[in-house]
Amino acid sequence: MSENGFALSLNGVTKRFANQVAVSNFDLAVPRGVTCGLLGLNGSGKTTIMRMVMGILHPDEGSVSVFGADAVETQRARIGYLPEERGVYRKMKCLDFILFLSEIRGMQKADGRRSALEWLERLELTDWADKKLEDLSRGMQQKIQLISAVIHKPELLILDEPFSGLDPMNQDTLEEIVLDLQRNGATVVFSTHLMDQAERLCERVCLISNSRKVLEGDLRELKAAETKGLVAIDFEGSDEWLRGADIVGTKESNGTTEVLLADGADHRELLKRGLQSGANIFRFELIEPRLHDIFVRHVGSGMVEDLAVSESGVSATI
Amino acid sequence: MMWRNVWAVWRREYIQRVHSKWFAVATVGGPFIMALLIVVTVFLTDRSEDSRTTIAVVDETNVLSEPVARALEQAGWVVRTEVWEEGAPEALMAEIETRALGGFLVLDGMTLSTGEARLYSVTGESPLRLLTIRSAISEAALEYHLGRSDADAAALLQGGTLSVDVIDESSTYENGTEFWIAYGGAFLLYMVILIYASAVMRATLDEKASRVVELILSSMEPWHLMLGKILGVWAVSMTQILVWICSVTLLVAAGIPLSLSGRYGLPELENLSEVLPGPGLWALFVGFFVLGYLMYSGLYAALGAMCSTDQEAQQAQLPMIMLLLVPILMVVPVIQGPTTAASTGLSLFPLFSPILMWARVATGVVPVWQVGLSFILMVLSVFGIAWLAGRIYKAGILMTGKRPTLPELWRWLREA
Repeated sequence: MSENGFALSLNGVTKRFANQVAVSNFDLAVPRGVTCGLLGLNGSGKTTIMRMVMGILHPDEGSVSVFGADAVETQRARIGYLPEERGVYRKMKCLDFILFLSEIRGMQKADGRRSALEWLERLELTDWADKKLEDLSRGMQQKIQLISAVIHKPELLILDEPFSGLDPMNQDTLEEIVLDLQRNGATVVFSTHLMDQAERLCERVCLISNSRKVLEGDLRELKAAETKGLVAIDFEGSDEWLRGADIVGTKESNGTTEVLLADGADHRELLKRGLQSGANIFRFELIEPRLHDIFVRHVGSGMVEDLAVSESGVSATI
Repeated sequence: MMWRNVWAVWRREYIQRVHSKWFAVATVGGPFIMALLIVVTVFLTDRSEDSRTTIAVVDETNVLSEPVARALEQAGWVVRTEVWEEGAPEALMAEIETRALGGFLVLDGMTLSTGEARLYSVTGESPLRLLTIRSAISEAALEYHLGRSDADAAALLQGGTLSVDVIDESSTYENGTEFWIAYGGAFLLYMVILIYASAVMRATLDEKASRVVELILSSMEPWHLMLGKILGVWAVSMTQILVWICSVTLLVAAGIPLSLSGRYGLPELENLSEVLPGPGLWALFVGFFVLGYLMYSGLYAALGAMCSTDQEAQQAQLPMIMLLLVPILMVVPVIQGPTTAASTGLSLFPLFSPILMWARVATGVVPVWQVGLSFILMVLSVFGIAWLAGRIYKAGILMTGKRPTLPELWRWLREA
């Protein structure tokens, strides 16, 4: 098998359901050892993409290859998968459930048991190994699901909205696990609509909107390229000049107004307008945009309200 | 890889189910209830037969009536010996109609040489009572024949035959035992196929509802999961059925003679096995169950994959139950006329075969080639249904929301 440098690559992938296009002509290449975030609103096609990577769905057009192999099914033992909609066999005992999943993920029995017990200990669930899953709290069940995704030491980890529904403790646990696997050279692809988490974990991002790829690249490079898009302004006077077609949104905190410019807009025009309006401007600084800003800028302000709602805890009034 | 996954699913399903309380209750409770039924039935028929039976023995030979009457009296009958004369049967028949007599036994020259006799009875006698009568007759005949040369000793030792004319109009079939084996077996097949096939549906529905299915499908093809599940439930059912068969056989072979030995002088208890289904019939029963289960479990698995909630599944299940109910409704006519064209045709339809062909087989008048053909048709259907169900299962298992309409279902079949 010729394995190129990519852990995962999708070429011109299209998937339709009935009369609806779920993913349209989608390309993605994730180098080995890289963590890549698929960012998009609910219904943008992320889950469909991940299911195609796992071979659960098959693309109508285009191809998916994992570790250079087009037959994804043959590579499944090397992939760890945490679907968005995940459950457990409620009547099964914890350890049996993990062992069952380790077995179908291709592990030998003894290895599976050793690994399962290690993970249970690491996540402080040893005392629960022989309890039925229905007796566990939701948070504990989530931990069991996490274990089942990583027990076979996957080289590629596919996580679909891994943080959604997790309590804060488990969010931290998951982040630790992901960082740990990263350090050991695993490739991680996860989808999320939580931008701050993506920003912390990802080296690459891929923005998806309406079943199409909008933007893809190295997060730092993207940020550098987008630097001219976000301006921090301290001023006195009327804010009339902060309204215009070239502005996607404004946010004020601690006296500083952050202005997000539309794609292609010129910050010098804005400054000129401010000076002309007679506002007293103390500070006009191009600052590094957050992933959130980049997302809003490219996916469009029409979607922003959705995002603000789904992003609980982050006061995004842009 | 494939069989490894199928085996893992299979084993999980089996172990989980066998460890459940329901399994323990059904496995132990099933035979217990059956035993109770059998004991109660035997006890009741025993009592009712005891309380009423006056039997007349009409003897043309003049040598058999005495020993036969003696044996029957020992066994609990009130016996009246009649001398053979013209018009005697008609007179006795009239007595039977007024219920003054429970029945009469006609012994003639044939009885003397081959053990064949004729019993006219108000109702069908229980197999045990028939056996008692038969033993009494053949023993009497043998006693008489000792030392004679024209006796057909082989036929006599085999126990002769006893053809029964049942006078009660409501029961027109010829042999009670065969009817009950055919009917009871058909009903049992209906129940076990329905119970276990719908267990596959519920398991599928459960996996879908609990969202565990996507975790599994990320490691195997949908039809591996389906196959493992069907085989797992099948293994559970076989375990249960074997336990049942063994315990029933044990009960009948040991329990009933034991409970009756005090009451009847049954000289040849080993003959009891003749009134029970033999190993060949048991094997056919299991064969009909396995193929019936495989056909219906495939359909039920597809059904489970199509639905999202229990209520939906309940509704969607109706046509499937109909498929099993139709043959059950046809069982009695088919047993009564096992060789009619309608019986033959219906019993060859694969989805009906487990129940209707069984019923015909149990009556003992079906040509072997028809049984063979029905098995071939059922095996072909198993593959056809697996192909069909596999496609529906694959398309449906990750769908949520509304159940598919027929046109949608058609599209699933084409696209999968």
